[in-house]
Amino acid sequence: MNIRDKILVVEDEKSISGFIRTVLAGAGYDVISAHNAAEAFLMISSHCPDLVLLDLGLPDLDGTAVIEAVRQWTQLPIIVVSARSFEKDKIDALDLGADDYITKPFSAPELLARVRVAIRHTRLSGMMTSSGKFISGDLTVDYDKHMVTVKGENCHLTQNEFKIVSLLSRCAGKVLTYDFIMKELWGPQSRGTNQILRVNMANIRRKIEHNPAEPKYIFTEVGVGYRMIEPDA
Amino acid sequence: MKTFLKKIRSLFPLSWKDCLILVLVMAAGSGICTLLQTISTSDVHVPMIFVLMVLIISMLTDGYFYGILAAVASVFAVNWAFTYPYMKLDFSVYGYPLTFITMLAVGIASSALATRLKEQQKLRLEAEREKTRANLLRSVSHDLRTPLTTISGSISAVLENGNTMEEEEKRELLVNAREDAQWLNRLVENLLSITRISGSSAIHKTDELLEEVISEAVVSFQKRNPDVKVSVSLPEEPLFVPMDAMLIEQVLRNLMENAVVHGQTTDRIQIAAVREGTHIAVSVADNGRGISQQMLPHLFDGMIPMEKKNSDGNRFMGIGLAVCRTIIEAHGGTISAANRKEGGAVFRFTLETGGNTRYEYSG
Repeated sequence: MNIRDKILVVEDEKSISGFIRTVLAGAGYDVISAHNAAEAFLMISSHCPDLVLLDLGLPDLDGTAVIEAVRQWTQLPIIVVSARSFEKDKIDALDLGADDYITKPFSAPELLARVRVAIRHTRLSGMMTSSGKFISGDLTVDYDKHMVTVKGENCHLTQNEFKIVSLLSRCAGKVLTYDFIMKELWGPQSRGTNQILRVNMANIRRKIEHNPAEPKYIFTEVGVGYRMIEPDA
Repeated sequence: MKTFLKKIRSLFPLSWKDCLILVLVMAAGSGICTLLQTISTSDVHVPMIFVLMVLIISMLTDGYFYGILAAVASVFAVNWAFTYPYMKLDFSVYGYPLTFITMLAVGIASSALATRLKEQQKLRLEAEREKTRANLLRSVSHDLRTPLTTISGSISAVLENGNTMEEEEKRELLVNAREDAQWLNRLVENLLSITRISGSSAIHKTDELLEEVISEAVVSFQKRNPDVKVSVSLPEEPLFVPMDAMLIEQVLRNLMENAVVHGQTTDRIQIAAVREGTHIAVSVADNGRGISQQMLPHLFDGMIPMEKKNSDGNRFMGIGLAVCRTIIEAHGGTISAANRKEGGAVFRFTLETGGNTRYEYSG
């Protein structure tokens, strides 16, 4: 028998909650819902969902506080649902441990894509070590040889450039904040400007993308961070 | 006591900048007088020069305080340094008291006048901003009505007569409703963008890579319009431009949406950025039907002359371009539109680079 993934939808607006439930149920997920933070805590500990869709504007507690509290005891994937134009909220949520975010208003396919990525990442987190390869279209990231190739040709990335690409590719489909990437590469003291990261990224784009202004592999989430395309199945 | 102090402070706002202006201008005045003294023995020009300095100080500083201070200081300076007996304060010489009182009065009056002038300028600016806001509100409420009618009408039609309708018919109604809802969303995004520009010049600029902002706008545009071919050409070097990235992305998205909605026959959009001295020029060109001559001068003021017969085609004219202009001007740039010789329209805006667009690459 097929065990279905269980998704908890935390959203106080009944109509949005209803729409999300319909979409997810239609795609074969088990859906449970909570309408405030207190209910959400209860459901998470009693139902052990495989994923939480969390609205940031809850009536009883700020969504970021919920992330913080949940991250104290479990690593289950959390996708934040937020309004556009508040990039600060998105960054805060991601830095507190949310796995991804989706911006209102979103379409059904967008929602399902994010859910799929987040669930797959938890399934594969053990396997995604630095062995093996990441392949998407013409792009190959070879973790063993420390090499990135496009159509089989070596892109000659520098040490740091390779580190950035391999970090992004291991979290492919997820958005990584500037701060997160900076800390992974340049250590926790790397506070302040992220211009060095942007310059590295500009150089990477010139090496792996056909046209840097129309990227196919690494996308920018303006004001938030970078997201790599999902690998071929 | 505290409120009293506050009142005093608002009447006589102290700032280092204004103090510096006061000192510098007064020094300049004294310098000129000293220079003139070496050429001519007459000292008729001295009070005049100091009155001029008082006027300049009143124009450059906030409030009455510095103007009056300058007037008083001038009186003493003229008496002490530039009139007989030199280097000595003496108000008793015949005719001097009158000269000094006149000078003081002129100084105070001119500083009051300058302050009034500045206040009026501020009021006029505010009135202008208020007018833009009212215009925007008017076009927004106008623009809201049509899609809302479509959405609620289509959905209630499906709900109430759903069982007697053909599947095809139902689908068409729902598709229309969805399209209009998406359009409403874009309108709301534009409104949100405007609220980000609160006050006069309070946008938050950070150095952004232009290519990232453009590519993000293009990616989200292509999601909605997969049939339109968008090509981008950029300089080879990475360009860092100070901007509010969300707002500039909004401008690019509006221009691309417009190219499709108003260009009507648009199936290619070309975006190009070039560096022109101290600023960057970005252009968005399409191959649609272009802009009619009668509309061209009104494109950016949010008050498009409506072609009544074709009201449906024009309903999107609303606020998109007015928002673009607001955003670009808040960045200190300019935006313009033209028709291309080879057909279609081209929109072009500039952004200041703030000098340093290059960033030294170090590992």
